[in-house]
Amino acid sequence: MKRYILRRIALAIPTLFLVSVMVFALMRFMPGDVATRMVEGHAYAPTLQALRHDLGLDRPVHVQYLDWIGGIVLRGDFGQSYWTRQPILEEFVRRFPVTLELAALTILVSVVLGVAIGIVSAVRQDTASDYVGRVLAILALSVPYFGLAVLVVVLPSIYFKWTPVWTYVAFSADPLENLKIMTIPALVFGVTRAGPIMRIMRSALLDVLRQDYIRTAWSKGLGERTIILRHALKNAMIPVISLIGLQAPLYIGGSVIIEAIFRLPGVGLFFFEALTRLDYPVVQSVNLIIAAMVVGLNLLIDLSYAFLDPRIRY
Amino acid sequence: MARRAVFSGFLLLLAALVAAGPALAQQPKRGGVLRVAEREAPGLDPHLSISFLTHSYVSLTYSQLVRFPNGPEQKSPTDFAILPDLAEKWTVSKDGKTYTFNLRKGVRFHNKPPVNGRELTAEDVKYSLERFMAKSGFRDRFEPVQAIDVVDRYTVRITLKEPYAPFLNHLANPSFCAILPREAEEKFKDFNHPDAVIGTGPFVLKSYEKGIKVVFERNPAYFMKGLPYLDGAVIEITPDAAARLAVLRAGKAELPHIWGWISPEESRSLKQTNPEMTVTPYQVIGQGFIYMRTDRPPFNDVRVRRAVALALDRKGWNDALLFGEGCVDAGPVPCALKDWKLDASKIDPAKAKYLVGYDPAEAKRLLAEAGLAKGFTMPIFHWPGYVLPWRSYYDLAAENLGKVGITVELKPEEYGKYISTTALGKYEGAAMGPSTPFTEVDDFLFGRFYPELPTNQSHVADAELTKMLLAQRREMDPKKRKQIVDDIQRYLADKAYYVYVPQWPQYVAHPPYVKGFKHHDGYGLGMRLLYTWLDK
Repeated sequence: MKRYILRRIALAIPTLFLVSVMVFALMRFMPGDVATRMVEGHAYAPTLQALRHDLGLDRPVHVQYLDWIGGIVLRGDFGQSYWTRQPILEEFVRRFPVTLELAALTILVSVVLGVAIGIVSAVRQDTASDYVGRVLAILALSVPYFGLAVLVVVLPSIYFKWTPVWTYVAFSADPLENLKIMTIPALVFGVTRAGPIMRIMRSALLDVLRQDYIRTAWSKGLGERTIILRHALKNAMIPVISLIGLQAPLYIGGSVIIEAIFRLPGVGLFFFEALTRLDYPVVQSVNLIIAAMVVGLNLLIDLSYAFLDPRIRY
Repeated sequence: MARRAVFSGFLLLLAALVAAGPALAQQPKRGGVLRVAEREAPGLDPHLSISFLTHSYVSLTYSQLVRFPNGPEQKSPTDFAILPDLAEKWTVSKDGKTYTFNLRKGVRFHNKPPVNGRELTAEDVKYSLERFMAKSGFRDRFEPVQAIDVVDRYTVRITLKEPYAPFLNHLANPSFCAILPREAEEKFKDFNHPDAVIGTGPFVLKSYEKGIKVVFERNPAYFMKGLPYLDGAVIEITPDAAARLAVLRAGKAELPHIWGWISPEESRSLKQTNPEMTVTPYQVIGQGFIYMRTDRPPFNDVRVRRAVALALDRKGWNDALLFGEGCVDAGPVPCALKDWKLDASKIDPAKAKYLVGYDPAEAKRLLAEAGLAKGFTMPIFHWPGYVLPWRSYYDLAAENLGKVGITVELKPEEYGKYISTTALGKYEGAAMGPSTPFTEVDDFLFGRFYPELPTNQSHVADAELTKMLLAQRREMDPKKRKQIVDDIQRYLADKAYYVYVPQWPQYVAHPPYVKGFKHHDGYGLGMRLLYTWLDK
């Protein structure tokens, strides 16, 4: 187990290296020039040359890359925003709890809904409840979460003069108020993500229910509840957990729009604003941190398989 | 006869009482906090950003030497009369080159460290205006300034290289001429840090939670006694436009935009769902146009440009998209800039038709005359993200031009690219987009037509015009200046260097209990809130 973890961590290094090269290169392929915008639009320096020098953009590209990645690896320095000159890590750390909480609540909503409906659909295969469940899943899959979010904000404001948009309060400051603010965005985001989970849950459970050990359990005379929840569900959860791992980047990516609509001060907006302003260091560093988290999360998910299925050993 | 006189007198008295009734009831009340739903400003330093959000945010806290009228002082939203702000009076020398400003005595900065409420002096004015000239993206406006001298503690003298008529208007613009304390920059490196926002304006920046809200409180020591009426204002950061309107509808904000703006379309929907809302249309200084490389074929041929101008069915646009409320005579001076505008109806119709006319047959004839009988392909670079009507504008332009044989290739660009290249004149063929709503006519004339300027997006180089452009900014007599500006408008009518598109009115929306909030063009909010009060 320990060796497996070490091997996976070792494998994460080339992955993150490739990610760093790709984000670094992609940013520079973006149309528009950050220095031109900063000088001509905002007068950050008297001349373009002066600003390029100031930001280090006049150095060869490989030197710029090594300087950035070197800072992270050697000193844990993720750099500063070109525009605000503020340390990136500081801003990230301040905003990350919002995005993390949104992601955690979203996963909770999507798993509870997806797994529950998935179980009912599988156990009551080809009955009315299965059809209803499947229709709901397709509906959740096909409604874009940003469209649903806008409707949830706009419609009650028109019909009831009320809208689920509040001024953000941190969990540490007022947990109840914070949960009130976070619940509806998490429900909106979670419902749309529950669709795929429900479908995977249903097919995985159907598959497991046909296996020999389940038939054995039935023949032993065990109750339906015990068979489904204690014997079948654990195994059927493996693909569901994998799916959550695969969807992890979506929770961050999708949070941009959810955060904008429900005015939550998270990482998504920070990243999006940096992208529109061509703030290279912010986009690069935030991307890299998120990539590292996705790699880490996937490792955790792989390790959880051993818990769910005792036959799996690392 | 006598009886009639008595009766008329009685009627007059009655009318006076009726008029006075609401006026008595409308005595401003002190107190309350106004909530504004708006996007986050990119920064707080008024010199390090040209964003209207930055300037509007910090306009609550700073003062300038002079200012525009607001609230009950203003005759219209484009009333750019110059009023005293930090300068209680000023004189201009006969040759128009020396301005002497006498400052109010006893004006104190907000009581925040490191400035701690010290008195504002002439040194602060010199420091701030020199910093503006060194750092601001608008610094070109002070190009004629030769020197800023401190005469004594309360007197500042500004010497210009040549007479410069737009000078006081620029000084009054809250976009950039805020008076800042030097100590704050020394401590915080610039004025972006919320603690560095220390001014002499009507509100004090109390706290700023990034991404959440900016809280302003009434400045108890503000030099205009008894003002502002509000206890404070809060900008609640709301990045999404639909959410901004939703919070207004739901009573969670008083303004759905930093200036309360909504589009004509939104105004209709709001009036339907919330008939109690105060929704007022204003003709604002906005302008949009097609701009072209007039230094290169085919647009160096005036016949081609005139064909483009005549191909646009402006009235049709106005009816289809703007509920017929737009202004079709939208350039070169914007409709709302009434003091300077020479209406197309006052220009020779043979020339004015290129500003407001629609004649596809004539457009085709002109193209044929220019050797383009078979038409040509015209790329139009643009940013598709501008507010709602714009997206339809690009399509309508393409459709209108297509009818006279000009095939438009719409070339959408990412905002960063558009604003740093195309909008600064770096493009091929043609482009389209809105103009910054400047407050000085000079920006719409000199700025758009003077050779080599980045804002001269059509690359105009017209010697006769250039002479007039320089003459109007050097003419200090407003009447004579207006004559030159009229001449420029007559001259430009049939040149079609830019082809202007209809401009819509902006609606200002707020709940009925918000009183005294009047729209005024120019990048600020602080002064608009000076006379605003809440009737609840």
